[in-house]
Amino acid sequence: MVIKSTRLGKLDVPKDLIIKFPMGLLGFNDEVLFALVPQGENSPFAFLQSASDPDLTFFVVEPFTFFSDYEFELNEEYQQELELVDSSQVKIYNIVTIKDKVEEMTANLLAPVIVNMETKTARQVVLEKVTYSTRHRIFPQGLSHSADGGDK
Amino acid sequence: MLALTRKVGEQIIIGDNIVITVVDVKGDGVRLGIDAPREIRIYRGEIYQAVVAENKEATVPLDVGCLNVLKDIVKIPSKKNG
Repeated sequence: MVIKSTRLGKLDVPKDLIIKFPMGLLGFNDEVLFALVPQGENSPFAFLQSASDPDLTFFVVEPFTFFSDYEFELNEEYQQELELVDSSQVKIYNIVTIKDKVEEMTANLLAPVIVNMETKTARQVVLEKVTYSTRHRIFPQGLSHSADGGDK
Repeated sequence: MLALTRKVGEQIIIGDNIVITVVDVKGDGVRLGIDAPREIRIYRGEIYQAVVAENKEATVPLDVGCLNVLKDIVKIPSKKNG
């Protein structure tokens, strides 16, 4: 599927990287189809590019590289909605906010994106009864410490 | 906006399947009970709005070249805890 992106150019995205968001993302309820484009083969980072709006690109991170003790329980309604039966089907991403400096970027641990990789369906979930916020620094000690930094 | 006065124990019905009951009032706090179909998500307003605001701020900068500094970072696989 060819998807146009203002930032990433014209992308030819294989079918297995096209993710449906039936409910959209919070604040973007009409955006129901995204391409999940990894930044590199083994990178924890990826771009989430809207299929319908070339101008709408998110940067997301798989949290466990940086937040090794990140955990939450997904309530039953969400599990049913995403047809999750086994944890091996699931991938978790957190949306990244980049303000001025890349090294100060933050991840939204309060509202992760849960993807069922088998059905290619996803939902952004607002966690309940957690202490996470929308802004956790990914590199609390700056970029030179890179992946072994994180929220310890 | 429609504003209704209700007493403890009284209800408001929205549509055919959402029922809000005033459970308790203490000082300036009001405790509400909400019965709604499972597919209706219920959020505290300020938390929902914080996530919407964060999403709107999170769209990627126009110059994605600045993200190249992250390219050498390798993913650490998640611990599976069953």
